[in-house]
Amino acid sequence: MSYVWTIAEQSKGKLREVSFELLSRGRKLADKMDTKLCSVLMGSNVSDEALQELIHRGADEVYFIDDPRLENFIVETHSNVLSDLIKQYQPHSILAAATSSGRTLMPYVAIQVSTGLTADCTELDIEDGTFHLLQTRPAIGGNIMATIKTPNHSPQMATVRPKSSRPLAADTSREGKIVRLELKDELVDDRVKMVGFRKDVEEFVNIEEAEVVVAGGKGMKKVENFALLRDLAKHFDGVLGASRDAVDRGWLPYPHQIGLSGKTVSPKLYICAGISGSIQHLAGIKTSEFIVAINQDQDANIFQLADFGIVGNLFEVIPKLNERLEAYKKEGK
Amino acid sequence: MRYNPVTAEIVEELRGIVGAKNVFVDEEKMEAYSHDETNAEEYGHMPEVVVTPTTVEEISKIVKLANRELIPITPRGAGSGLSGGAIPIFGGVLLSVEKMNKVLDIDYGNMMLTAETGIVTNEINSLIKEKGLFYAGYPMSLETCYLGGNIAENAGGGRAVKYGVTGRYIMAMELVTPKGEIVNLGGKLSKDVTGYDLKQLVIGSEGTLGIVTKATIKLTGLPTAKSNLLVLYKTPKDAIDTVPVIMAKGTIPTSMEFMDKLSVKTACEYLNESLPYQDAGAMLLLEIDGTNQEQVELDAEAIGDLCMDNGAIEVYVADNYTTQERIWSVRRNIAEAFKVVSPIQSLEDIVVPISAIPDIIPELDRISEKYDIKIPCYGHAGDGNLHATLVKNPDHTMDHWHEIEPLALRELYEVTKNLGGKISGEHGIGIKRKKYMLENMDPAELDLMKAIKVAWDPNYIMNPGKIFDLELE
Amino acid sequence: MNIIIPIKQVPETSNVKMDKETGTMIREGVVSVINPLDLYAIEAGIQLKEQFGGKVTVCTMGPQTATKALKEAIAMGCDEGILISDRKFAGADTWATSYTLSQAIKTIGEYDLILAGERATDGDTGQVGPGIAAWLGIPLATYVSKIDEINNEAITVERLVEDGYQILEMPLPALLTVVKEISNPRLPTLRGKKKARVTEVPSLSAADLNMEESYIGLKGSPTKVVKIGYPKVTRGGKLVKALGEEGVNEAIDELMKFLEDKELI
Repeated sequence: MSYVWTIAEQSKGKLREVSFELLSRGRKLADKMDTKLCSVLMGSNVSDEALQELIHRGADEVYFIDDPRLENFIVETHSNVLSDLIKQYQPHSILAAATSSGRTLMPYVAIQVSTGLTADCTELDIEDGTFHLLQTRPAIGGNIMATIKTPNHSPQMATVRPKSSRPLAADTSREGKIVRLELKDELVDDRVKMVGFRKDVEEFVNIEEAEVVVAGGKGMKKVENFALLRDLAKHFDGVLGASRDAVDRGWLPYPHQIGLSGKTVSPKLYICAGISGSIQHLAGIKTSEFIVAINQDQDANIFQLADFGIVGNLFEVIPKLNERLEAYKKEGK
Repeated sequence: MRYNPVTAEIVEELRGIVGAKNVFVDEEKMEAYSHDETNAEEYGHMPEVVVTPTTVEEISKIVKLANRELIPITPRGAGSGLSGGAIPIFGGVLLSVEKMNKVLDIDYGNMMLTAETGIVTNEINSLIKEKGLFYAGYPMSLETCYLGGNIAENAGGGRAVKYGVTGRYIMAMELVTPKGEIVNLGGKLSKDVTGYDLKQLVIGSEGTLGIVTKATIKLTGLPTAKSNLLVLYKTPKDAIDTVPVIMAKGTIPTSMEFMDKLSVKTACEYLNESLPYQDAGAMLLLEIDGTNQEQVELDAEAIGDLCMDNGAIEVYVADNYTTQERIWSVRRNIAEAFKVVSPIQSLEDIVVPISAIPDIIPELDRISEKYDIKIPCYGHAGDGNLHATLVKNPDHTMDHWHEIEPLALRELYEVTKNLGGKISGEHGIGIKRKKYMLENMDPAELDLMKAIKVAWDPNYIMNPGKIFDLELE
Repeated sequence: MNIIIPIKQVPETSNVKMDKETGTMIREGVVSVINPLDLYAIEAGIQLKEQFGGKVTVCTMGPQTATKALKEAIAMGCDEGILISDRKFAGADTWATSYTLSQAIKTIGEYDLILAGERATDGDTGQVGPGIAAWLGIPLATYVSKIDEINNEAITVERLVEDGYQILEMPLPALLTVVKEISNPRLPTLRGKKKARVTEVPSLSAADLNMEESYIGLKGSPTKVVKIGYPKVTRGGKLVKALGEEGVNEAIDELMKFLEDKELI
């Protein structure tokens, strides 16, 4: 049986957490087919310890293509490399993260190697007998779950929503093979060049990978009031999100927008205030583990989805809650 | 006026009439019935008992009991009123029609529907939509109000330009009079001059002439297509001057909403909307409906041309959901946007002849400057009904606001009167505008109204203290 | 500067209903609109045209009724619209769709830039834009939030990624998928609407576009939907009212307990 691959992601030589989430997904699939799990990493300056960690977190083999020209994600070169590897090793299936790079790389590769690709899966399984990869994803704003397969093409490929699975604990007794591969010059496409990188001045955060997201909506009334949520987020080391209404009003920039026309988040804890919960917004938070909502209107849609809801004035509730969390922290220590 | 208190015995008697589950006296539950959409702190008042009857006979008995015991009755619909009409200012019995919400008959032959008055008006339209029918009486899509409340206030709304107000659609009604008699007024008739038109007298009487328990409403064909125009003008006068030109051409828009510069600017800033509003002194938002999308778009185009010929700077066209939502959200968010600036406001409802709208704008500016408050002006240009709103200056104290609000209102109403207008177009007098109506109305007319009230309600128990006060001994 | 913008007509999502029996969307009564995320591409394209001259062509794969979306784009300021319509295209996945659109774009002719929305709000895959670039073999930048510089040969853009903005420089022609930050879509004007009404929108079929039949429609799609399920939407969580000072304190007590129980603090 051919292997299951996952595409590891790195930034400045450091592995991203989502690489391990993919391995825990891939491990289950490989075990079910009694085959090996291989993590593919394209990058530069990645330490041996980091490569070993991929093994500890579930990989049997690691293919590391190590070259400074792979340090930054440039879709053309990365696709050429991955397509070349696919042609050479013929994996059974490939899982990549539904991140800005995964969602760019994989559709490009799907055309290059002529196979199907399912976006943003939340569940994966192997069909008994056929060994088809069953790829389940929310569709139409999360109102339905569609299960998709790629019966006649190979490899079978999916991108997986970050945070939709937990990484396996590192098992330092695991052993595996690390294969270092050279970057072939002919695969380098130098038409696109990265000439710079800009971080937002203030709190640029990746809400899709955050453990805790604290979001505000129209009910926050004005931009100044987001200070309340900023304080609340600090207690959880969380990040700030916003509904479309709030982003449209210019209270937070677009990277913070959650919902169908923004980002989908799957944090462990989602706290929102002043968000009534349009279908579009709910679609973006459905896969959160716990949802806490504070809203004045007890009939607000958001309470349908909340694990804990407070009907009340957020301007009374949140300052008090911040006080209590502050006190809790002091007592706890 | 001195009324008797609602004693434990009377509560028992009420329970006997409507059943124990339809009577409640605990404060927490009654709180929701102590106010409407006006400022609860200023106008709210607790009832002594709330009853939710389920039949007209029960209501008749309750009203007779109230007459016998001299206890005031306040009828109530959904409580979404904007003038305090459903607030039990003398305590007593609060009578809510919320449990009388059944559709009794849909008569396709006559295109009429009969329902109890506790029905949510919007639900009527979802019920008859499949049959291609439409109740145009109060077609505001975002409201939760009841049919009964619409009748009591003779509700208008944004689409009255084309469809008129509630009164046009009420064909017949069942009324419990202030004395407790049950009478049927009107009928499924297009013509009827058989005696006084008491039905029209009841419509808009704010619950002072009895409790309407059933109504037969006229239905029309469902418009399935619509297009909107957002028209930018240099000045309010340019905008208003276009209104009669459009009306004269034959296609009457469903809505002709006017927004002055301050309203548009505040709403656009609040919404972060990128419309080029900076250059516009005023905007008109027009909606054209019909049953054929192509025809509606052509009609809209023709109206758009008229606007351009009459001094418009630019005409934007919205004929799909995305763009329609976008332009209507500017109009809908004006009040919300000003609440962020200052939550203390007085939402007004003046109505003037359409041609007087341009003349009122500089007057608003003058009053606004004089009292150092903001007065955005927006509303239904097609029928002259403007929701000029006094917005408290956040730098002023509440005491100062209480001092200047009546002064500013008096000036506003005086200007309105001088231009041939009146102080309320669709929200009603209730308790909020009582003293101002008194100041602005011909005493002879007021006497006629009082005479009617005395004749219908000799014990003065039916929604007393609304519209005007009556001194009885 | 010639710009091509592939767009999609999508159901207006706040009104979508599902048929529980068949597992398909109830199209009846659901209004169709231009994919909201495509509007940013359209606006960006029109602005480039206003700055540099040239032509903006919008195209869409869909039924004849999708002409309405093209006309709306023309009303906003695009110059031409092309409908790519054939029964044979029905049931296409992102692979087959990107093939079909790339073939159509080749037929449209010379172009400097292709602009696409980040993804469509119905399918929510974001795979068609990159797919078209791969078929055409032109440089690609996804999640573009800003065009820093552009001339006849090259473009510099900012690409929104998880931890900031990559600044990428690439030769033209190229394909960009854009995010909301790139522009504020304008409303169609009366002039635009009139122009759109008289603008002919040609409809191209599979045969017109020289298509490889085994690459299009359901047959040409590598992925197949095998099951549709309905996830439970409501969670039936606890709801507490925070009325008055005491109420607020009690609600927070309960919330703190909840957070503790779930090991969230």
